[in-house]
Amino acid sequence: MVKFGIEFVPKEAYWKTVYYAIQAEKRGFDNLWITDHYNNRNVYVTLAATAMYTKKIVFGPGVTNPFLINPIMTTQSLASLDELAPGRVVLGMGAGDKTTLASTGIEAKKQLSAVVDAIAIFKLMLEGKSVTYEGNVFQVKGTKFNFKPRGQIPVYIGAQGPKMLAMAGKIGDGVLINASHPKDIDYAVSQIKSGVTEAGKNISEVDVTAYASFSVHKKPEKAQQAASPVVAFIVAGSPNVILERHGIDLDKANKIRGALAKGDFGGAFGSVSPKMMEAFCIAGTPDMCNEKISRLLKAGITQFVVGSPVGPNVRKSIDLISEQVIPHFK
Amino acid sequence: MSYKKIVEMIPVEKRGMLSDKLLNYLLKAKKENKMPSSLAKCFLSQWQTGDFDDAAGLAVLLEATVTVEPGKTIEFVETEMQLADVAKALKEAA
Repeated sequence: MVKFGIEFVPKEAYWKTVYYAIQAEKRGFDNLWITDHYNNRNVYVTLAATAMYTKKIVFGPGVTNPFLINPIMTTQSLASLDELAPGRVVLGMGAGDKTTLASTGIEAKKQLSAVVDAIAIFKLMLEGKSVTYEGNVFQVKGTKFNFKPRGQIPVYIGAQGPKMLAMAGKIGDGVLINASHPKDIDYAVSQIKSGVTEAGKNISEVDVTAYASFSVHKKPEKAQQAASPVVAFIVAGSPNVILERHGIDLDKANKIRGALAKGDFGGAFGSVSPKMMEAFCIAGTPDMCNEKISRLLKAGITQFVVGSPVGPNVRKSIDLISEQVIPHFK
Repeated sequence: MSYKKIVEMIPVEKRGMLSDKLLNYLLKAKKENKMPSSLAKCFLSQWQTGDFDDAAGLAVLLEATVTVEPGKTIEFVETEMQLADVAKALKEAA
């Protein structure tokens, strides 16, 4: 049965994010993902607070990266969280956003190797023994915690490119795919399957997760209006090959990029076309959203993550999802 | 007057509508740092174990919204809900 997750960006006071986390648990979501960006509230403080106020929802960073946070510290954080909320913790690890990392003075080199190393160190250190590891990007020598981690924690890998997707299928317990269109999911699943085959695993052992920009409201135009800022940023940040896959006019995409660069947010958001909305977001009434989620399920996902903006009113949209979306699939 | 006493002045049939509006004010508040840590914990504990449209929950929610968004909260109670005596009590509590 498909799982439902929800993503929150901890840009507001912790008590607001935790309020929504409690609401998500009460309303039947299975997973909670908190984004990790240096310019927002700290992901682990937010998750620790969430652990204290929830009982069953599974949660984790969605996603952290090994460049800004050293893998040892990530392991320490997750192992500690696993003591607060035993068995409810997962790791979401990706390569990070190059632009954001650059603003911190970090150059994200050898992204694939960095993620492979980080996950290897994570798994080894959770065994609770002294770890020596020589990776291409990260090395540790005789590193050991002064406490005994509870055990292994499921690893989800945020992936978009073909090599990262295949690697995620090979070594991950789950894959987080930033996509909301069946074309992108089809492509991702085919790459994941190649990694799964290489590892001698079965695709059913991997939680294939669509991490989709989502907006729901009883009036479709309100849902879409709330989603247009997110879609504008997705269009601006997408490689041209992805835009072309969806038949999006590159000139229109460049117009959005230019407007965002100038700080003309109104111009950028107003330039989001229906085709862009269709490609990069699930937005509309509950029935419209259900139809699109069904297409992603057919493409092979096993978890659907409701990503930003969730809806024009997050609280009411969570209730609407609980009443008219999740029951459609469970 | 305590918030529990103020809630007793609110007709039961109006509590659901008030709770819904106050949650919107609180979750959309810009001056979120006005929420004291102890009150934030109380707010989250209440939400974890209960709801905000019963007497205990509404008392916590009223205190939180009056702390974070006093103007909007009192105006709504006075103008939209036509509860002048409640609005007066909230002004004194703020």
